[in-house]
Amino acid sequence: MGRSLENKINLEEILPCNTFKTRVPQVEVEKNIKPAPSRYRNEIAKYLIYRDEEKCIMCGTCVKTCTKGVHVLKKGYKLFATSLSYTCNGFVCEKTENFCVAKCPNGALRLIKNPMMEVMGDFRWTSDMILATWRMAETGEILPEDSDFVYETGDSGGGFDRIRIVFPDKPAKVDSDEIDISLELNRRNDGRPKIKIDVPWYGGGMSFGSISNVTQLAKVRAATAWNTFSCTGEGGYMERLRPYDDHMITQVATGLFGVREETIQRVPIVEFKYAQGAKPGLGGHLLGTKNTPAVAKMREAVQGIPLFSPFPFHSVYSIEDHMKHIDWIKHINPRALISTKVSTPTDVDMVAVGSYYAGTHIIHIDGGYGGTGAAPDIAKKNIAMPIDYAIPKVHNFLSAEGVRDAVVLIASGGIRNYYDIAKAICLGADGVVVGTAELVALCCLRCSRCESGKGCPRGIATTNPELASQVTIEWGTQRIINLYNAWSIGLKDILRRLELKTIKELRGRTDLLIHLDISKKQN
Amino acid sequence: MNSYNIKNILKSKRNLNKTLQLPDKSSAMEAEGGCGVVGFCCTEPVPGKHIHEPSRLMHNRGNGKGGGIAAVGFIPEQLGVSREVLDDYYMLHIAYLDPSARPDVEKIYVDPVFDIKKSTKLDTVDDWKSVPGLEVKPPDVYRYFVRVKDSALSKFISENTFANLDRRDVEDEFINQNSFKLNHEFYVSAKKQTAFVMSQGRNIMILKVVGYAEAVTQYYKIDDLCAHVWIAHQRYPTRGRVWHPGGAHPFTAMNMALVHNGDFANYHSVTEYLKQRNIYPQFITDTEVSAQMFDLLSRIYKYPVEYIIEAFAPTTELDFDRLPNEKQEIYRAIQSTHMHGSPDGPWFFIIARNLIENRKFQLLGITDTAMLRPQVFAFVDGEVQVGIIGSEKQAIDATLESLAKDDKRICPIADKYWNARGGSYSDGGAFMFDIIPDNKGKYRLECKDKFGTPVVITEKTESCDFRKEIPDTKNKEQIEKIINEYAVAGKYIFEFIRDNIPQWSFDDIRIACRATRDIGKDDKYTSYAIDTLTLLNDRQYSTGTKRRSHILQIIRTELNSLFINIPRLRPENDELSEYRLIDFEARSELRGPKDKEKTLVVNSKNFPPEGNECDAMFLVRAYKLGWKNFILFHCAGQRYVGCGFGPETHDLTIDIYGSSGDYLGSGIDGMTITVHGNAQDQLGQIIKQGKLVIHGDVGQTFLYGAKGGSIFVKGNAAGRPMINSVGRPRIVINGTSLDFLGESFMAGDPHNKGGFVILNGMKFNEEGQVVPLPEPYPGSNLFSLASGGAAFIRDPKRQLISEQLNGCIFSPFTEKDWELILPYLTENEKLFGIKLDDLLTVNGKKLNPMKVYRKVSPSIEGTPSTPEQDVYGEEEEVDELAEEVLE
Repeated sequence: MGRSLENKINLEEILPCNTFKTRVPQVEVEKNIKPAPSRYRNEIAKYLIYRDEEKCIMCGTCVKTCTKGVHVLKKGYKLFATSLSYTCNGFVCEKTENFCVAKCPNGALRLIKNPMMEVMGDFRWTSDMILATWRMAETGEILPEDSDFVYETGDSGGGFDRIRIVFPDKPAKVDSDEIDISLELNRRNDGRPKIKIDVPWYGGGMSFGSISNVTQLAKVRAATAWNTFSCTGEGGYMERLRPYDDHMITQVATGLFGVREETIQRVPIVEFKYAQGAKPGLGGHLLGTKNTPAVAKMREAVQGIPLFSPFPFHSVYSIEDHMKHIDWIKHINPRALISTKVSTPTDVDMVAVGSYYAGTHIIHIDGGYGGTGAAPDIAKKNIAMPIDYAIPKVHNFLSAEGVRDAVVLIASGGIRNYYDIAKAICLGADGVVVGTAELVALCCLRCSRCESGKGCPRGIATTNPELASQVTIEWGTQRIINLYNAWSIGLKDILRRLELKTIKELRGRTDLLIHLDISKKQN
Repeated sequence: MNSYNIKNILKSKRNLNKTLQLPDKSSAMEAEGGCGVVGFCCTEPVPGKHIHEPSRLMHNRGNGKGGGIAAVGFIPEQLGVSREVLDDYYMLHIAYLDPSARPDVEKIYVDPVFDIKKSTKLDTVDDWKSVPGLEVKPPDVYRYFVRVKDSALSKFISENTFANLDRRDVEDEFINQNSFKLNHEFYVSAKKQTAFVMSQGRNIMILKVVGYAEAVTQYYKIDDLCAHVWIAHQRYPTRGRVWHPGGAHPFTAMNMALVHNGDFANYHSVTEYLKQRNIYPQFITDTEVSAQMFDLLSRIYKYPVEYIIEAFAPTTELDFDRLPNEKQEIYRAIQSTHMHGSPDGPWFFIIARNLIENRKFQLLGITDTAMLRPQVFAFVDGEVQVGIIGSEKQAIDATLESLAKDDKRICPIADKYWNARGGSYSDGGAFMFDIIPDNKGKYRLECKDKFGTPVVITEKTESCDFRKEIPDTKNKEQIEKIINEYAVAGKYIFEFIRDNIPQWSFDDIRIACRATRDIGKDDKYTSYAIDTLTLLNDRQYSTGTKRRSHILQIIRTELNSLFINIPRLRPENDELSEYRLIDFEARSELRGPKDKEKTLVVNSKNFPPEGNECDAMFLVRAYKLGWKNFILFHCAGQRYVGCGFGPETHDLTIDIYGSSGDYLGSGIDGMTITVHGNAQDQLGQIIKQGKLVIHGDVGQTFLYGAKGGSIFVKGNAAGRPMINSVGRPRIVINGTSLDFLGESFMAGDPHNKGGFVILNGMKFNEEGQVVPLPEPYPGSNLFSLASGGAAFIRDPKRQLISEQLNGCIFSPFTEKDWELILPYLTENEKLFGIKLDDLLTVNGKKLNPMKVYRKVSPSIEGTPSTPEQDVYGEEEEVDELAEEVLE
């Protein structure tokens, strides 16, 4: 593993002299896992502990009983501080010795499920899953066994939520430390660099404009720490991302905003975005309210006006145009790997194989589950093929064509946690791209109000400086680093339980999956 | 044809389908991309080898998994038949994927139904692997000259109540159904596909292979076979494993061959439309259904070609409104009847036909209404006339060069090059070249648009005889003397030559250009000679009665010869020189400039069009070694020139001669690129800064996503120029654009460092004068959905109407606007010789600019940002904002 870029290729030789001159020193980000608690003193909790102040005799029994540090009695204070309810395990405790409500000598404590759980989130991102992701981003660990969060699946009644991994009963023999989950991104043997990322995922493209400056930086810094990638999205390449060039993907999208020769040359991977699974047939769309002076400058457009990207590349109407397009980028940046991001129409398999022949290194299929609030509802849930259908379709087609091992298949569109990652890989992908999960790590509520632009209550998908100031780079970076760590622990654990040593072995192992609807029928 | 007969024919097809038990369900189309296509026709029959060069150039538009050719109008002797047989008999080509299937096929579908005049197996090379580019062994092809047996035909007539029909029409239908049955039995429903009909029709042939198109003529040994019309097609099927050429283009229908570039989004709907008329696809590609559709409309419905074109590419929007009333009525009826069969998506067709009743061969090109695929037309006039249609101009250039090499009467530069405006009221988006026999056994070429309006080629008909060497003329000594004197005195010679061209003979012109070249051999005068010949090449001027194309040919020949004689770049050069020549073969000898060396002259001829060895990459390497000035000549469509140099290249210049390629200057940041001729598609995309000068027309999606730069175009832009441009690009187009100019233009406030486009709507007449086009902008969408910038349009007659502006408004053209655009028009005058005074002169009177120009600006209220020239500075500000956020 390790950092694979600078050591292997002499950039001075490959990059044009002028580009090399403008290259800035690259920054390393340490992969330390340390707690990064919520930005809010009173994090939204699954359970609420109420204390009847009149009954409480301040005996401190609850503080001693609770192993989660819910009750806080600071020295020198006469009253309890507000309980840290979000760390409470809830009714799981009832059966244990650590149930504070039972232990309270005066019956002053009361435990209820937070009614907010009923209204938060949605069927795909349930409140449990959101809160569990927050916890992972806080601690860097997967959730302890005694917690009752259901976060492997959501409640959507389809897709990954109806698919389960079947683990063998017998105890596993593989040591988690030996498990390799790294992923090679160039399988073409075309003389371009072999790039290996330490985890089988990288960050999806979200433009400056759709998310704040700080959010973008936190994403790429975490990617740097984990030796993987983050993507510019289509809003241009922020100057502040330049110390992380080696971990950036420049997106060439249909609007071509901020795409310049320089921004193509400075990165190891260039991604063509033909379509998004969340809104196939529609171009990128930045709402007028989000088009602030800073964004307009970045995109060199007029502020305050919705910015549309065309739905196709007007220069690409066919596969040989696509090849020409790829050759263009390969010409501008002789070391770049090319990723082709497409949504999932019914002939996505044909598109994928055509892309392969056109010279792409990575085929990135974006299914219909993804998308933040900015994608129109009518498009978000109704157009693209679900990713769990698309992955095997493409995987099998590429295999039948005999080119499967010459190209990397990346899936995205609703990958929410490490279970989804494992399932996507079982279905035939090599790796995944994550988007929304990173935002959730930064305390996103999934309120689906991204399109309101300046109004993101959590200061993530906003360009309003005041709102964005809620997030700091250090904290944001740490949260995403932590989430990645929890995922890699979780993913390795899945492999261990499946008695596999590398993530490669998992690819295409549909035999390890069951689909609840189908198995029901068989029974 | 009357409806009774139409119904009968379609009914007979239904009966046929019933017996074959065709399924109701449509099968999915085989995915397919665009392709490389060229078609040409010539008044002399020309050999098949001429498709080699254009085909080779189009390799990057195919993937070697499907190539095909079609030819129409043969010489009877070459095929071993009499003129009567060639004209009257059907020329049936059957491909046997499995040779052992032939007895079965012949037993059912040939011997019992046909009178066979001649049947031959097409000769092939012995070892198919010796033909480069072939992926699998091509099928055995048999050619049968046949007529339907009287008895078989009579039976067919009585079975289908065809008594009212012309017997020949019935025979055509018989052949059609017979081929359909053959394909069904041996191809569609067979377990193993063993045989299919490659082509059916009179005096027409189609051959196709799994490989590149030129492999067809090599494998079947028809390099010397002559025909009047040829089409070559490189296909790009996306599925990798193809083991036979059934799905390759061209596709056949009675007396025609059709190739197609692009794909349909509504394949399903078109097949349904055809099914309602009992026509079923067999090869499951959109090209096949196009051929079936064309056949239905032309042979069964007997529509005139204008209506067929309308059914394929309907006239819409403003163009429809501009049609005469009686045409609107007919077109409306055609559209409501055939809209479901009209292909949607990017496509264009090239069709070769044998129009038996009219005794002519035809090459027809149709562009789709949305103009999503580039299609170029060219006409070469003279003793031998040539018409060409291609997917790109370099394919046309290559064809002409190949033809001209064989026949010196053909000039490698066409008299006219043009694009069609798909679905328009002006040309209908289609042009047809007709090869028509005269009484003396010769042929002439006519070109007409959809409406039958002849295309005016040129009034200058004096030709240069390129067959002979340059003779001495009485003026020779004097011309050479003057040129030498001028050069020594450092005086500008261009005007002297230009002004003399009308009265000089071709020989005098050749002498003058040769003399200019010769003084250029002296390093002292090299740039003088290059400049002179370049100006002669770039500028428009009166040619007297002489063909402009022939004069250009003379100039370019000398210019190329001047370049090729420049001292070569060696590791150590003895003699000093400002210019150094290098070519593909010597590319490894590249070194940095020494002493007074300033300009690297690159012979692009053998450089591949893309990849690590391409000339564009070579230039980047040379720049790294210190070269700052480049001349590229003998270009043959190589792509990406000017790309990949990185930021801040203000010290760099590139001059391009020959056929420049796609994506030229896409991404440049500071350099100056001059194209001495027409330019191709996707030019100047994402250009940030710098100068782009085009001495000709430009292709599709010019300046897509541009961020800045000063761009000057002498001629027209094709579809969709400047879409999604931001920042401060400033563009002058002296001609016009097909449509969608400046769609989603977002380039700020033109008066505050934003961008704009000036559209002059002018052209040069044959005397080299600047004259207005019939209308400044013919398209239905001008500056649509723009949110920034402005378009300044020369429109003194106020021909533009607000219906053309989708989301924009006319705003007053002010003094301030004039001050803004004046420097650009002045530079325009310097570059192209298009005088400011000429632009301001209307009907012989010089007008106030406010009366000549109009301004189109966005209607949406927004606050334009003010991008600075210095992007770093600008982004610094963005950063400060972030800094604030972080505090």
